[in-house]
Amino acid sequence: MNKVYTLHDAVEKFVENGDCISFGGFTTNRKPYAAVFEILRQGQKDFTVWAGPAGGDWDMLIGEKRVKAYINCYTANSGYTNVSRRFRAAIEKGELTYEDYSQDVLMLQLHAASLGLPFLPVRLMQGSGLMKYWGISEEQRKTLDKVDNLKCVEMENPFNPGEKIVGVPVPKLDTAIIHVQKASPDGTCIIEGDEFHDVDIAVAARKVIVTCEDLVSNEYIRQDPTLTRIFGQCVSAVVHCPYGAWPSQCYNYYDNDSHNLKEYDKASKYLDAEDAKAQLAKAADKADKAAAAKPEDEKLAEAAAKAKKVAEDAAAGVAIPETFADYLNKWVYEVKDHEELLDRIGGAQLMRLKNEPHLGYSTRH
Amino acid sequence: MADYTKYTKQEMQAYAIAKNIKENQIVIVGTGLPLIGASLAKRVVCPSCHPIVESGLMDCDPVEVPRSVGDNRFMAHCAVQWPNIRFIGFEANEWLHDEDRLIAFIGGAQIDPYGNVNSTCIYGKGDYVKPQTRFTGSGGANGIATYCNTIIMMQHQKRRFMDKIDYITSCGWMDGPGGREKVGLPGNRGPQMVVTDLGIMKFDEETKRMYLAYYYPFSSPEMVQENTGFEIDVSRAQLFEGPSPEIIRIIREEIDPGQAFIKVPKE
Repeated sequence: MNKVYTLHDAVEKFVENGDCISFGGFTTNRKPYAAVFEILRQGQKDFTVWAGPAGGDWDMLIGEKRVKAYINCYTANSGYTNVSRRFRAAIEKGELTYEDYSQDVLMLQLHAASLGLPFLPVRLMQGSGLMKYWGISEEQRKTLDKVDNLKCVEMENPFNPGEKIVGVPVPKLDTAIIHVQKASPDGTCIIEGDEFHDVDIAVAARKVIVTCEDLVSNEYIRQDPTLTRIFGQCVSAVVHCPYGAWPSQCYNYYDNDSHNLKEYDKASKYLDAEDAKAQLAKAADKADKAAAAKPEDEKLAEAAAKAKKVAEDAAAGVAIPETFADYLNKWVYEVKDHEELLDRIGGAQLMRLKNEPHLGYSTRH
Repeated sequence: MADYTKYTKQEMQAYAIAKNIKENQIVIVGTGLPLIGASLAKRVVCPSCHPIVESGLMDCDPVEVPRSVGDNRFMAHCAVQWPNIRFIGFEANEWLHDEDRLIAFIGGAQIDPYGNVNSTCIYGKGDYVKPQTRFTGSGGANGIATYCNTIIMMQHQKRRFMDKIDYITSCGWMDGPGGREKVGLPGNRGPQMVVTDLGIMKFDEETKRMYLAYYYPFSSPEMVQENTGFEIDVSRAQLFEGPSPEIIRIIREEIDPGQAFIKVPKE
C-alpha cells in the first residue's frame, strides 16, 4: 500500500482541530519542524498535547494559541534558550492550561500507551510539588474531554502491602508526528541514532505522520531488518521531507542550525511589535531607576542611556527588533511549502549543516 | 604564553565537580558546568568514570562540548544509544539491586537547608498555576533525585538559599531524618553535597541539614554565611585547594576551547 502524501495533504487529512497529539524528537534533535510549520500554515488548533522533552516546536504552537491543554515535562531549546519564551510568557500571564510531570513519568506514560496498559504505577514524583500541585484541577479536568480526570493517585502496591506508589493515567493519542531518516511507501521506518520516544508514540497513536529525509523503496528498506524500527502498518502517512527537522538536528544527516536557533531565541522574546515596544519601554524605565539609585556609577548611566535610545527607536518605529510574529512570517507564513523554505534557508547554509561523517556533527556553520 | 595560574569561579566549580567523582562511578551529567567537570574527571582526575545522560546515551565521551543532553555530539560518541525509558529503568534497577555506583548532578533556582530543589517556578505574588517566573520544569531531575545520590550545582546567593522554597521539583532529605521514607522515597539515596561558586556544602549525618564543608581560596566561611538565606554551620569548614595551572590549561584548551560554558576573562 502506498502511503506517500505531500506534506500539505498529510497534515490536512491527519491533523484535526482538538486532537490529542504528541511529537517525536528531543528538545533540539529530530523535531518534526516541517510538519509543525505546515500545521501553523493550515491553522489547526485546540490541541491537547503530550509534549515529551519539547522545545521550539511546541513553543511556536503555544505562541500562536493553538494549544488547549499542555502536558509537559521540559520545554527549552537547550543550549540556545534556557526556558522556551512563549511557553514561559503564556504561563506567567496565566494564559496556558498546563500540567507538569517529571520527564521520567511522562516518557513512561508514552511507553505505557505503546504497550496498551490501563494505567501506570510508578515510584516517582513522591514528596514533590509534581504530586502536590495540579496545573489542571480536578474540576477543570471534567470540562476537558481529552484530559484525564486525575493527574495522579497515591496508592498502595497491591503486591507489597505498605509500599506507597503513584498511579498515573496513560495517554490516549489521536495523532503522532515523527521525523525519521528513512521510510518506505508502505510506512516502514528506519531511525538512526537514539529513537527517543518516537517508536512509542508511533505505536500508541491512531494517526501517525512520518516525515523522512530519504524516501526509499519497500524492498530497499527491508535489506537489513536490524535497522528498521517502526512497522509500516502503524503509519498513516509518509512524507518525503529532506531537512524536515530543520532547524533542529538529524543524526547522520545534519546539525542544529545555530544561527536560526539563536534568531528564534532573540525573536521569541517579543510576541509582536507592540509587545516589543512595551517591553523595551519597561526595560528602559528599570535601567533609569537603577542608574538614579546610584548616580556615581557611570556604567549604569551608560546602560540607562542605551536602553532609553533603544526604547525610543522602537516606539518611533525606527528600529523594532525582530519579534516572534516576524520570525513566523519569515520562516513559516510567507513560504508556501517546505521546498520554498529550503530555498529561503539557502543551499550553502544547508551544506554547511551537513553532518561530517568522521565526527557525527558539523563544525562548518 | 597564556597565563593558567589564575582561574575563574566557574573553573573552580568545574574542578570541584571533577574531584568529587570517584573511581568507576557512573556519572549522570547534564550540559553546562557538570559536563565540563565530568569531562575533566574522565580525562585527568578519574578516567575510570562513566558519564551518561538522561536521554539514554551511555558512556559518553564527546569530542566537542554538546549543547543539550540529546545532542549528536553525545550521540556519536557513546557506547549505547538507549531510549530515555531504558535510562529510567537502569537508574531504578541500580537502586533495586542495592548498587551504589550512580552519582548525578542536578541544578536549580532555589534550595532549602535539606537539599530540596526548585527548578519549576518562583511564585512571587502568584502561585504555581500563575507564577512570577517560570522555568523549564523537572526534565529528568525529579527521577534522578528519587533514585540516585546527587550533587547539586547552584549559584550561591541569599535569594536562592532559603528556609522554605516555593516548589519542590527534586526531593532532597525532605524535612530531615526519615523524611524521604515517610513520603515513599528511597531513604538510602539523597543529596550528598552542594557545589557553588563559594564552596562545597554537605549534609549532616544526624540532622540531614546543610553545613559548609569546604570554602575556596577566594571565598571564606563568612562569605558563605552572608550569601546563605538560612543559618548554616560553618564550624567544620576547611580550605579546598584550587586547581593547578595544568588543569586550567586542559579546561581552556582541550575541553571547552569554544568557551561554550566557561567564559575566560580577557587579560
